[in-house]
Amino acid sequence: MDILTVHQLTKQYGTQMVVDHISFTLGAEKCIALIGPNGAGKTTTIRILTGLIKQSGGTIQFMNDKNMTDFRSYIGYLPQHPVFHHWMTGKEYLIYCAKLTYINKLEAEKQADILLEKVGIAHAKNKRIGTYSGGMKQRLGIAQAIIHQPKILFLDEPVSALDPIGRREVLNLMEELKKEMTILFSTHILSDADEISDELILLHGGKIVESGSMDLLRKKYQTAKIELEFENGVDDYEQKLTSIHAVTDTSIERSVIHVTVSNIEEARKEILKMASENNWRLMNFTVNRASLEDMFMKAVQ
Amino acid sequence: MQWITLFQKETKENWHNKKWVWVPIVFTMITIMDPITNYYLPEIINMAGGLPDGTVFELPTLAPEEVIMMSIEQLSMFGVLIIALMSMGIIAAERNSGVTEIILVKPIRYRNYITAKWTTLLLLVWLSLFVGMFLSWYYTNLLFGDISFLMLLQIIFFYGLWLTFVLTVSVFFNTMFKIPGLVAACTILTVIFMSIINMIFGHKLTWFPNQLSAHIQELVITNTVSKELIGTSIITLSLTIIILFAAIVLFQRKEIF
Amino acid sequence: MEVLAEINWGIIAPIIVIQMILMIVAFIDWIKVEKTNGPKLLWLFIILLITTFGPILYFIIGRKER
Repeated sequence: MDILTVHQLTKQYGTQMVVDHISFTLGAEKCIALIGPNGAGKTTTIRILTGLIKQSGGTIQFMNDKNMTDFRSYIGYLPQHPVFHHWMTGKEYLIYCAKLTYINKLEAEKQADILLEKVGIAHAKNKRIGTYSGGMKQRLGIAQAIIHQPKILFLDEPVSALDPIGRREVLNLMEELKKEMTILFSTHILSDADEISDELILLHGGKIVESGSMDLLRKKYQTAKIELEFENGVDDYEQKLTSIHAVTDTSIERSVIHVTVSNIEEARKEILKMASENNWRLMNFTVNRASLEDMFMKAVQ
Repeated sequence: MQWITLFQKETKENWHNKKWVWVPIVFTMITIMDPITNYYLPEIINMAGGLPDGTVFELPTLAPEEVIMMSIEQLSMFGVLIIALMSMGIIAAERNSGVTEIILVKPIRYRNYITAKWTTLLLLVWLSLFVGMFLSWYYTNLLFGDISFLMLLQIIFFYGLWLTFVLTVSVFFNTMFKIPGLVAACTILTVIFMSIINMIFGHKLTWFPNQLSAHIQELVITNTVSKELIGTSIITLSLTIIILFAAIVLFQRKEIF
Repeated sequence: MEVLAEINWGIIAPIIVIQMILMIVAFIDWIKVEKTNGPKLLWLFIILLITTFGPILYFIIGRKER
């Protein structure tokens, strides 16, 4: 079942297109990474989806329901720099947030305690938020976002500002949460996306440059390269290599031949066979897996 | 109920930032200054070295009605200023700091959000007005002569309508701008602009909100609620409701960012 | 000095009391608050040395809400 269907979403400030006709669909209980360099339009996109800003064009449909325009009851949101009422305690704040989403007082208190435990700040629940550290605030931020059990959770750069330990903890929490709800989170760090997301939307200059499931994208971009180095120059070998079926391209850089291959296993077998049969004076044989990272870098340049 | 939750948060926040304490005190300082300084004016002049010999200068003896109206006049200046300044951030600062970024993504009805804040501000201003005018009345009775308690309540009621109008203007500008200073400036400029209009066309605009204190003065002196006072009150109240409604509509259309 | 003796302190005292309350409330708030707009110590002097207006100024522009 589709949770969110975004069609031709656009946001324009003056003549500047911050979000440029993007379309995508988010499925249930999936974790989707919205990735892109700074200024790609990630935060703007999320703010439009949460209703904080209004789109210049395009439609957002929740649960395929054309008539629903205000679906704030079903979404949770953690901004990039969450600001709280610093004079409240963590527990007070969560109860306040719960009651705002029409949860009754008793249930609100119960939920607040459960969530404070879940995000790991139960020890500080009666302390003022003003005294919380950055990591604690981030976790309180997640708690307030999920207290009404939303169908979809928007997290804007949830781990960017955290130290390695805090980052680990938040990622683990997200791993757990994605069993219960759809998560759309933005990041500019590919390894975060690679680690926990099922799908990826690559945004650049307000446009979707690439998108799809993580597995498919990995396969698509994992074209491997093999580097060969010889004792006695390279010219003689290049032609022979191109005759191998799995080799798609070759290029020479000083004493090294870069071989792009379509199937790494087959190419490796064939090259090594050819090398041993013809007694090649091979000095170096390196398999280089191109990764999503390369794709990311290429796409955003 | 969501409104109650928002309202409770506002009242608690006013404890936290001590508005429940300092605003009534400041209002009191504003209202009691005139009764007391006027009473001690002869002594003050003496202390400052007295009048030169030979000057014949009779200090007019003030009627209690004049004295209590002085407090109202002071409130029209400094009370309005304090309202504009202490309310300049009630929405603007929340939007500016990012607090609303979390809160308004929740299924909050904007009219609840605005009216909860408006009601809290209303309570604060009326409490301050009551405390301030009560003490002014106390001093006036003590030092100048009798004014009935019923009259005090009437003064507070009718003048409260003017202050309610002012605070609603502030709420309105709060929904328009994110910068608190700009909100206060717009509120004050609106009041100044209105009083200029009143000065120029006042003789034709009998029911203009700024005429309220003039009509209250008549009430104090004649002890009768005039037709003009009722009319002006209704106009002021209607304008207040319209502005509050406009603030809600405006906020709904507004982007939080 | 005679003039001072003539003043009815029963009338003046409440004003002084109110001023004191205002100052004390501002002072307590100043202690609790983590940061102020501008140097925190400066605000202490403003609260304590400028009667009435000092504490009012502190509440309106000195307090920092974050």
